[in-house]
Amino acid sequence: MREVSIVGIGHTVFGNLSDFDLVDVMGFASGNALDDAGIREEREIIEQVFVANMGGGILNHQTGIASSLVSRMDMEPAMAELIENGPASGASAVKMGYMAIASGMVDVVMVTGGELMRTVTGWEGTDFVASLLHPEAEYNYGLTLPAYGGMFTRMYMERYGLTERDLGLVAVKDHQNGEKNPYAHVRVPCTIDAIHDNENAHVINNYIAEPLRMYGMCPVSDGAASLILCANDSPKMKYFTKEKPILISGIGSATDTHCVHNRKDPLILDAVRLAAERAYAMAELKPADISFAELHDAFVILELAISEEIGFFPRGKAAEAVRNGVTAIDGAKPVNTSGGLKSKGHPVGATGVSQVFELVKQLREQGEEGRQVKNPKHGMAVNFGGFGNNVVAIICSKGEE
Amino acid sequence: MIDFSAYGVHTPEVYAHKCPSCGKLFYPAPMICSDCGERRDPSGIIFKDWDTISLSGECTLLAWTRVYALPEGYEMQYLLFGIVEFPNGLRASGRLKVDQPDTGMKLNATVEIMDNSKGKEFDGFVFELMV
Repeated sequence: MREVSIVGIGHTVFGNLSDFDLVDVMGFASGNALDDAGIREEREIIEQVFVANMGGGILNHQTGIASSLVSRMDMEPAMAELIENGPASGASAVKMGYMAIASGMVDVVMVTGGELMRTVTGWEGTDFVASLLHPEAEYNYGLTLPAYGGMFTRMYMERYGLTERDLGLVAVKDHQNGEKNPYAHVRVPCTIDAIHDNENAHVINNYIAEPLRMYGMCPVSDGAASLILCANDSPKMKYFTKEKPILISGIGSATDTHCVHNRKDPLILDAVRLAAERAYAMAELKPADISFAELHDAFVILELAISEEIGFFPRGKAAEAVRNGVTAIDGAKPVNTSGGLKSKGHPVGATGVSQVFELVKQLREQGEEGRQVKNPKHGMAVNFGGFGNNVVAIICSKGEE
Repeated sequence: MIDFSAYGVHTPEVYAHKCPSCGKLFYPAPMICSDCGERRDPSGIIFKDWDTISLSGECTLLAWTRVYALPEGYEMQYLLFGIVEFPNGLRASGRLKVDQPDTGMKLNATVEIMDNSKGKEFDGFVFELMV
């Protein structure tokens, strides 16, 4: 297979962008990626566009979004398709971009993920995301992703002795990174005293889906992120001299049962483990080789569970690593250097693309002061769709010096 | 005299589906048996639809949560949800009507007509204390 690198990255701020149009928001991130790649006039070299979006049809009453983006960016006649894979749409679109180039069909691809979720109320947004659950056996009851997050957290606590304070420490660490990320949605400082230790902590950190509290959940966000991908062996690589290309060294994805209750052990996230194993195998790397990771912490418990499932820590030991600062920005295994979904935000279609944006930024060593990983070689992103029923893992590498 | 009292009365039921070839039970219904590969035809036109078995009664609580942020369409302050396992090994998610739930407790699964967030009626599980 051909080697594929990322030669341009773009991002909007994550937050409330509900006054804007969905395709404009995607277009702004796309423009940033083109600028970062050094492309201004030669837009025709982009042969294929993949757009990641989960709910444009439902939340914004817009369809045909990929064609719309190409036209708004004056990139016709580029080929264009929409990729929908729930909250893992973003990393799936990156995977499709990789496949299109690796197959030899095209040389240059633009991948843009975006979502406008604040155009509806929080309750409607929750209902929209819950529509990915099983209609008859899950969704009908009023079950939601946070409900499964809560049940998963309780099972994990009862089996491994995890405490609410441990969950708080994950949020504190994520906010420490997110505060310094100019694109992050919730850039407010967060201390363990304010959200757990203080006797009045429950006032600002109330239960949402017991035992998960407000600070155990990501916010509902709008935003977009974009990447330009190019084949390493393509003559078109000559256009991209502005930044050092970052190699996509491994991609894996896997699925699991639609209904959470049908998993033999609901605490074992098979799709996460298999996606990671496939990515490691392609990259010829081991968990120990990964310098840092962006893990899908829509609920803080998922950062812990995913970090165990991808082989960073033994089962039940991730919280100990968080307590010891292993996953902090200056630790041995920094996790969610961007602030993660918890602080940076989670515009569902944008998230996977944004995670890879962060890998590239760190590997180029362009992180803001106080949130740059020291001498990173390989970064890993895990984008978690459904409640773990479709997961995509991507490894990016700095390549030879 | 004709007794009309039972006319149009719907008894709420949730069904497990049984593979006609190997007998494996499923909830909710799949389109293929994961053990023997037998196909299911919900229309019953090409093949006979699978036999159904009413699912209710004693079960064990595996996980639970109390959710305060409910989707659009629910007026109450919170709802309790749980995942249970039946003695036949099948599991299900549903609403929980127990004030002090405890993982591992024995419950009784009943089936009620309830509304989803869009106001559409469906037959769903309610997990309650054993009486």
